[in-house]
Amino acid sequence: MAASVTRPALSSLCKINSNINGIYSLTSFSRRISISSVLSTSAVTTETEAAGRGVRGQRRSKRQAGEPRTERMTVDQDWTAVYPTAASFKPSAVPLPVRMGYPVKRGVPPAKKGNLELIKIPNFLHLTPVAIKKHCEALKQFCTEWPSALDSDEKCVKHFPIQVQSKEFVSAGLSLRNPDVRIVTLKVKLSSLNLDDHARKKMIKLSEERYCKDTDTLTITTDSCPLRQQNYDYAMYLLTVLYHESWKTEAWEQEKTRADMEEYEWEDSPSQKKVLDTLLRMRALGAKDEVEEGTREELLGQPAVQEYRDTMLRLKNEGETEENLQQYKEAVKKLFNI
Amino acid sequence: MASSCSQALRHHVCKSSRLLRVHLQKSWTNRSFEGAVCVSSSFALNSAADQQPAVSSPEEIVIPKKKTWSKEAVLQALASTVKRDPTASDYRFQDDPYLTPKTSSEFKLFSLSQESGRNAAKYFINTYPKYFQKDYAQPHIPCLMPDTLEAQIEEVSEAALIERIGMRKVKAAVDLYDQLLQAGTSVSLDVTNQLLDLICFYGDHDPAQENVPEQRNEETEDVQDEPQAKKGRAAKASDLLKATWKEKNNAERIFALLSEPNTHSYSALIRGMVKYGAYSKAFSTYTDLLNSRLKADVHTFNALITAAPEVKEKYNEKWELIVDLLKQMAEQKVKPNLLTLNAVLKALRRCGTVGKSQAFPVISEMKALSIDLSLASYSHLLAIFYKPGAPIQGQTDILQEVMNEVSGKSFTPQDPDDAQFFITAMRICLDTKDMEQAYRVHELLGVGENWRLLGNDFQQNIYYARFFSLLCMMENIDVMLKWYRDLVPSVYYPSSNVMRDLLQALDTDNRLDLIPQIWKDIKQLGHANRQNLVEELLTLMAREKHNQEVQESFAECALDIKKIYDTGDRGKVLLNWTAGSLSDLISVLLAAHRRQDAWDMLKLFKTHNRVPSEELLNKFLMCVKEDGDVNQAVELVQISAGFCLPGTPKLIQRVQQEFELTEQQRKMLSDLEIQSFNSE
Repeated sequence: MAASVTRPALSSLCKINSNINGIYSLTSFSRRISISSVLSTSAVTTETEAAGRGVRGQRRSKRQAGEPRTERMTVDQDWTAVYPTAASFKPSAVPLPVRMGYPVKRGVPPAKKGNLELIKIPNFLHLTPVAIKKHCEALKQFCTEWPSALDSDEKCVKHFPIQVQSKEFVSAGLSLRNPDVRIVTLKVKLSSLNLDDHARKKMIKLSEERYCKDTDTLTITTDSCPLRQQNYDYAMYLLTVLYHESWKTEAWEQEKTRADMEEYEWEDSPSQKKVLDTLLRMRALGAKDEVEEGTREELLGQPAVQEYRDTMLRLKNEGETEENLQQYKEAVKKLFNI
Repeated sequence: MASSCSQALRHHVCKSSRLLRVHLQKSWTNRSFEGAVCVSSSFALNSAADQQPAVSSPEEIVIPKKKTWSKEAVLQALASTVKRDPTASDYRFQDDPYLTPKTSSEFKLFSLSQESGRNAAKYFINTYPKYFQKDYAQPHIPCLMPDTLEAQIEEVSEAALIERIGMRKVKAAVDLYDQLLQAGTSVSLDVTNQLLDLICFYGDHDPAQENVPEQRNEETEDVQDEPQAKKGRAAKASDLLKATWKEKNNAERIFALLSEPNTHSYSALIRGMVKYGAYSKAFSTYTDLLNSRLKADVHTFNALITAAPEVKEKYNEKWELIVDLLKQMAEQKVKPNLLTLNAVLKALRRCGTVGKSQAFPVISEMKALSIDLSLASYSHLLAIFYKPGAPIQGQTDILQEVMNEVSGKSFTPQDPDDAQFFITAMRICLDTKDMEQAYRVHELLGVGENWRLLGNDFQQNIYYARFFSLLCMMENIDVMLKWYRDLVPSVYYPSSNVMRDLLQALDTDNRLDLIPQIWKDIKQLGHANRQNLVEELLTLMAREKHNQEVQESFAECALDIKKIYDTGDRGKVLLNWTAGSLSDLISVLLAAHRRQDAWDMLKLFKTHNRVPSEELLNKFLMCVKEDGDVNQAVELVQISAGFCLPGTPKLIQRVQQEFELTEQQRKMLSDLEIQSFNSE
């Protein structure tokens, strides 16, 4: 045979490929491994003398690589047949002139042949839009019809306020099991639960960091049980318990101090006392009247004080913004008739 | 706990709706895989019987019932979206240009080496099982664990006998049986029947153990007539093929020891006899069976029908014997099955004209018994009517009828002869030159699971060789090339004959410009060392004049071919020059105006002792004249004179007339003229 195979000698390019593809056994069977530089094209046969074989004077021709199959690919081929599943990058099967890597000095990034950088990274050649369309078509038969009454997001949230999420994993390896499959995440908006003010506050306090204030969502993630079903039951149980506990009022809840409060209350705050004090002092400077309980409410009832109260609440609860500070300034000025 | 929460939800949710089926188990993104029975190729998808349409009144939300499916259903559904890739080689090989096989011998070598690697690994696992006990795979994969090759139960008992039968150790089982009988324990009829089955199936030899290196010691004594050069494995294989039913073998002995043999025992014995060629004995055993007033079962009858053509000579007698057997079958109320039908049809193949007349009645009777035909039956049918090598006498309808019946159906393997259908059908299409039926046959291959029935690699090769030859003969070149690109070399590695057919097809359709591409493929397939193929290629290239581009590509191709002719790097000469091939090559080069290369080639005539033709030299002279190189013209004349060609004087005249010669050259030429004149 003209292009006959005697002993396959592998260049380092193919050695890399073969290592990745896990056929290292084949390379170990062949006793000749000749190293050629990575940048050389392997189409040229090089007559290298094997170590220890030159003695006999017989030269065996090096096996040539065939042309890569990108040459034979038509433009309108079925790409989903070339990459049906996740696979590493095969330069002989991908007809794109991709380059990757740090450019050699005054050069360009190295080409795709034998490029380890391209092989290392994950690629999504198996998930082209055409492939995804085909997969969706094939998976449609496993799906049931969407209920027609649920045609908007609001309705979905209204009728099914609890969202439960879990993940499935498919991979080929030693084991089909993936421990992350047991994790269950339960999300519910507190506005859809029947809670009064105290219950809501208590629930938020109980759930600590599981509650997100911006979206008003309580997220419970359970992974302590080994099975997903168990974790789901546990998450529902936690939700139930939270709900019922937050409706109950314990005896020691009466001892809630000012430091435990979630939001700032103006009544009985040092600010109120100070304002009263100041106003009384202002009054007292003017006329020497008796300080009575009745004047307290009267003073507090004044619109300036109310306004000051509002701005104070706004500042403390919402944070300091330009606007808030402006309003505070106005309120203080009005209070002191400046 | 969960229920109270659900209560709360329900309160919240069902304000105005009457019927709400809120599945607490159901969440939007959850899917549970319930293990249902999985039919091999299609998955079981049970949609709910009362699945309500999701269209409901505005207030009522109807949740449809969840579907269940088997474990592999999703993966199978996704796999069904993947079609064949025409540029990729077989799935077994690594997808790398260096590592995919390019010729058919490489294909065989690589696939065998893969298998042998696997066997070597299996051997190690089974020989040292204590190192391979740890189980990494989840869920457990039993076939990857080490097999137990040695029998566990040591004491002489029936359980040990059953174990050895299960492990297919024929000799050990027979020895143990004898020991049991000597010890006086009686062995039950069932176990004895199993033992008889084992012996008759393997013909009293141990089955070849693939993973164990053959023991040469005991075996070689039995096979003394085998040449010693044969390795152990080859000797065993040929042993089995030529294995015959020995005279006094264990099966008969044990059978004789049975006090009350039943149908199963007779059946085992008869089937073993038929399998290993003792046909007349099989029939005598059958007569014994009838005499002891037992009924035979369907397997016995199948075996006897298979044996019938062997015991009788004339067609009529064979057919009568088969009919007799079928009648007895009916009497004994044994229902025939598919294998019966196939056995009858196979026997009819050897019954000549009787076969042709009786085939269809047999089929219709069997159909009345609701036996569906398998591909093997169709294969036998085709073989009955289309004998290889016989002239076709207007029987083309049968193939068409068969294809009508068979198209679009997916068959499962039910008979070992199923694999013959496709190559038989393709042979018939080739003989009858029927392209349409060939396409239908090929289409059938793509339906469902039928690709499994194409047979092993060798049969696949035959099938595609026939298909290709037919295509080359019948179809025009575009269709041919389309199939060529689709199938070569991913599925089929054509032989050099097929490549010649392809070249002829190119010639017929006047597409000789594709020759350089075909040459590249020929080189890759490893046919570049076939003398006649290369010479034919050169002849085709040199025959006519084409336009400039094509000539250029031809010239490149020609130079490439020249490299093959040169001595290879091992000092081995692969191809020999002939006068014809040299002339063709030079003409091609000349047509592309590669004068220098052509001139070098001309020198080769002398070195390889070939004589150039006059025509070639004339052509060369014309080319030289275009360039006006006088010296070369003179040299040409000298070469011609050197070969003492009869056309030399004419050549000299031409040179003298058409070229401007110096004095010296003129003198030389006149000398040559005189010389050639004198030599005539």
